[in-house]
Order: sequence, then C-alpha cells, then structure tokens
Amino acid sequence: MENLLATSTDTRAQLPLNGPAAEETPVLQLTNIEKVYQTSTIETVALNRVNLTINRGEFVSIMGPSGCGKSTLLSLMGLLDEPTSGTIAVDGRLVTSFSDRELAAIRNLKIGFVFQSYHLINDLSVVDNVEVPLLYRPGMGGKERRKRALAALDKVGLSARTGHFPSQLSGGQRQRVAIARALAGGPEIILADEPTGNLDSVMGEEIMDLLLGLNRQDGVTIVMVTHDEHQALKTQRVVRFFDGSQVG
Amino acid sequence: MVRHLFRLIWNRKRSNVLLLSEIFFSFVVLFGVATLLFNFGRNYVQPFGFRHDNVWRLTIGARQGEKMPRPQLDDVLRQVRALPGVQEITLTSFNTPFRFSTMNGDFARGSKKARGVDRYDADDRYGPLFGLKLREGRWFNASDDAATRPLAVISQDTREALFGAGETAVGKLIRSDDQFGGDAPKEYQVVGVADKVRMSGDFASATPSVWMRLAPHDTTSWESATVLVRVASGQGAPLQQRIVHTVAGLTRQWSTQVYALETDRLDKLKPTLAPLVALAVVGIFLVVNVALGLFGVLWYNISQRRAEIGLRRAVGATGAGIGRQFLGEVLVLTTLGVLAGSLLAVQFPLLGAFEIEPQVYLMAMLMATGLIYVLAAGCAWQPSRLAAGIQPAAALREE
Repeated sequence: MENLLATSTDTRAQLPLNGPAAEETPVLQLTNIEKVYQTSTIETVALNRVNLTINRGEFVSIMGPSGCGKSTLLSLMGLLDEPTSGTIAVDGRLVTSFSDRELAAIRNLKIGFVFQSYHLINDLSVVDNVEVPLLYRPGMGGKERRKRALAALDKVGLSARTGHFPSQLSGGQRQRVAIARALAGGPEIILADEPTGNLDSVMGEEIMDLLLGLNRQDGVTIVMVTHDEHQALKTQRVVRFFDGSQVG
Repeated sequence: MVRHLFRLIWNRKRSNVLLLSEIFFSFVVLFGVATLLFNFGRNYVQPFGFRHDNVWRLTIGARQGEKMPRPQLDDVLRQVRALPGVQEITLTSFNTPFRFSTMNGDFARGSKKARGVDRYDADDRYGPLFGLKLREGRWFNASDDAATRPLAVISQDTREALFGAGETAVGKLIRSDDQFGGDAPKEYQVVGVADKVRMSGDFASATPSVWMRLAPHDTTSWESATVLVRVASGQGAPLQQRIVHTVAGLTRQWSTQVYALETDRLDKLKPTLAPLVALAVVGIFLVVNVALGLFGVLWYNISQRRAEIGLRRAVGATGAGIGRQFLGEVLVLTTLGVLAGSLLAVQFPLLGAFEIEPQVYLMAMLMATGLIYVLAAGCAWQPSRLAAGIQPAAALREE
C-alpha cells in the first residue's frame, strides 16, 4: 500500500487526524455503542452496548443473522451514521462530535468502502469510478488522480479494463473495481459489507483472495461483514452478533 | 471537479438531451422577447422629432363618384383656419403620423440609395404645424411657387443615406425611383433637411422620410383630402363640431370626420404591443416549462441517484459538496444550452437582421443568459438541498 502512495500528495497534515498513528493505537475503537431507530410508534434497538477494537493490520469478520445490526455497525465504523450513545475513536481520537466536513475528510483519507452491490457509477468508466474518492481530496491534480487510479486497478488485475463501463464487466470484475476504488485513496482500513454476497463461489473466492492478499502483503486493516462462515474463518478474528449485541 | 461534471453529463447525454433542448429553446425565445423589449424601449425614449399634441386630423371626403376642386378645398382650409382656437392648418397626404397607412419608396442620388423611405405630401404649413426642426436649409414657402422643379425636404437619415457625411444636401437633386402609376422617375430638389422623425408610433424607430411639396393652386381634383389642424390647448368637442359645421356650411356635398392624433397614437399602440405580448406569453410558457422540467428531472435524478449520493458521501463528499455537485451539473447543462442558443443569437447582429442595432442584440443576449441562469439555479436550489440532506448510510442500504 505504501508503494501505491509513494508519489501521492500528503494532504493529511490539513486534516484533524494528522500524522501517522502509533502502531499500538487501535485504528478503530467503539465503546458502549448503542444505536436506536425511533419512529413515532416503534423503538428499534439495532445495537446494544457494543465494544469493539480493531487493531492495525487486522482482518476481522463480523457475522450474524440478518437484522442483527452488522451493517449498522459497519456504517458507524465508517462514520456514515452517528451512534445514539457511546463513542467512536479513529486512530485514538474521538470523532463523535466532529463536523460533517471533518468526518468526510476522515472517510476520504483513512477509510475505504467495499459494498455487496458494488455501488459503481454506471455512467463513468472503470478508471473514472476509481478516481471518485480522489475528487474530494484537496489539492490533488488530475494527473495524480489518474496515476493513483491506474495503480489501484493494476493492483486488482484490471489494467486492461480501464476504459470499460461497469455494465460491460462481470460481477467479480465490478467488485474488483470497487476494491480498486477503496484502495486508490490509500486508506488505513477497508470496510467491506458482504463483498462476496452477490458473487458465485469461484468469484467469491477470487475476491476473498484479493482481500487476504491486501491484508497480508500490504498490511491493510480490513473489517468484513459476511454471512459466509467459510470466508469468515479465513480471517484473523470473527466477531459474532445476535439481536444487536456482540455474542462472541 | 468541473471536468468530472462535464464527463458525467456527456456520458448521460441521452437523458440530458431533452433538458438541453428546452434550455436552448427558452434561451432563443427569451432572446427574441428581450430584443423586442430593448428595441422598443430604446425607440420609446427617442424623441418623435415632431409635436403631435393638440393636432387633429380632418378627413374630408367628396360624395361617391365626385371630386373636390382644389380652389374649393383651399376655401375650406381658410375658413377652418379662421375659427377661434385653430392655430395652424395644413393639407397633406393620407399617411399622417400614427396611421396604419404608409406610402414609401426608394430614393437615389447617383449610386447612393435610400430604401423604404416614407413619402409625405406637405404644403407650406406642414413643417411649422409639426414644429419640425430643420438642420439645413428651410421649409417650403411662397417663394417656391416659382420653382421649376418639384421640391422636397428630407429627413436627416435620408440625407445620410444619399449624401454621406460631408456633402451639403440643400440645392441638390434626388431621384424618386419608383413612381406610382408607372410614371418615369422624378427628380426633386432638396430645400431643407429636418431632424429624424418617428411617425409610425411610440415603439417604432425613426424612418428615412421625404416631404414633397404640394403646390398651391393645384388643378387636381381630390376625392378625399387629409387636413391636419393644430388647435389651442384645451380645445375639445365644441371646436370639433364647429369645424364640421364650417365644412358643411361651405359645401353640403362633402363629409368631414375629426380625430385627434393622440387617439391615433393610442390606437397604434395596441397592435404594436400584441405580438410582443404573444411572444412574452410563449416565453413565459416555455420558461415555466423549463422550470418544471428542471425541477422534475432533478427530483427524479436525486431519487435515482441516491446510491451514488451515498457512495460519494462515503468516499469523502460533504453534504454541502453533494448539493454543489447537483447545482453544478445543472449549471453546466445550462451553459451548454446557452452556448448553443448564443451561436444562433449572434447571427442576428452579425447579419444586421431587422435593422436593429448590434448593441440591442447583445443586451438581449446578456439578459436572456442571466434569466436562464437565475431560472436554472433557482430550480436546482431545492432539489440540491434535498440531495445534500440525504443520509449516506440510509442511501447505501436502499439498493
């Protein structure tokens, strides 16, 4: 991953979480997290007193039945949603009270997302899709963006498909593009929400191997939500949820 | 980011083409309306070049199949002139100011031509009655009775067309190129040059004009005559009745109708404004259509692109940034529509169409551009705010 970023502009100094974090500081730390969805008549507890620490270089799987709060947890870890109570620390700094602008900057610099349904923009080519996170990085020029995007696509083995559009790719290739997009920004952590969920077993294995390679060879921290016990067992740690609570 | 927006819009060209064409046509119609408005406004603030207040138009007609001998007509003019409240009287052709009737043709001097010149018959009192300001020479007078050639007073714009900048017009000959009734071209000697006049109405521009002297003691018999009368301020129906009775007292064979030039002016306003109002209505309709289109397309876009919005938020866009992106997309589309419309609009000043000054076209282009941008930004504002407020976690979960 460092090689990929070797030529990048270092914009982290402008951001709230600047500077390299100490090796022993957890990348993510969730403390007493509660998430309650409230309507006028119903109160749904999605997460109940969750405590979770993700250390640098870990590959953690989150498992549990549908509706147990896995995706909600991933949204909170990705700073896409706010907890009802509890705190979230990124690289040792509490981000719970950060502004939208500050949270967006952390997401852009430190977090990469991979989704089950890829979330590629159909009207953009593969390389343009991979460039999207870099559009929101202040001071980065077009040439630098393109260079990083091509390097990320090379990393996932899609150098030959840069000009294609998502509709021209297979499911596995689309997920590779999504992983390249997550990698392009040089994140410290990748949050993957059922990345093999829409793929057949062969393609699922390919994507899993790619993620494992990123973790083992490049030291990227990965948190993956999955239903697949077989895939989960390949990771270093499995965290299990049931009805919004951590059970293992 | 702007390049990214262009790329996004280009890749979505099929879905954007309808909106683009709406913006293009709205720009063109707004440009048309603005051109008319600016041109009318520009003309409106120009002086008429003559005084039409307290001037009445008398239409005197002989009975069916009969004619009016000139001496008898001159007697009528003398009697009316003598009435208390009447200050001046003149015999002229039917094409008095603000009428729908015109009489025009081409005049030439050597190789220079003045096209579409308004021609008026005028006697020696016409100029003083209207207070025409003479820049060179003089108005017709009794000394012209001895002239061997027909005489004319020309307007300044006719003079510019036929004589250019330096040459003096007075004493020179101009040729009427299209005589009525198939007569041979006729030469007139210029005795004076008057200021430009706008006799076609409030919103009309000045038209090159030539006044040709009606010789007194003309032996021609007239079927009808148009007489203009300047009256003292405050005169009304009693004087009009006295004029009608005076004409009737001299000859019961003739009928007389009296109109105020002010009434003619107001009557001319309605049909002049009608096309402008019609075009404005079409313009408003199109503008509302574009507004609804923009609004609808944006709402639809946002509902269709919720996942994209969620993704952009996830990878580092702020809520405000998303709002700006949607606003930016509309403004890029608007720019493309306005550019296409401007390409068409700029042909008008380049070709000198409708003899409207280039500045008017340019001002109209600026106004149409400004209005389209305000409209686009206004319509995109609320949907963009809506997009900015979408929660990324919810948007990403929906797909």
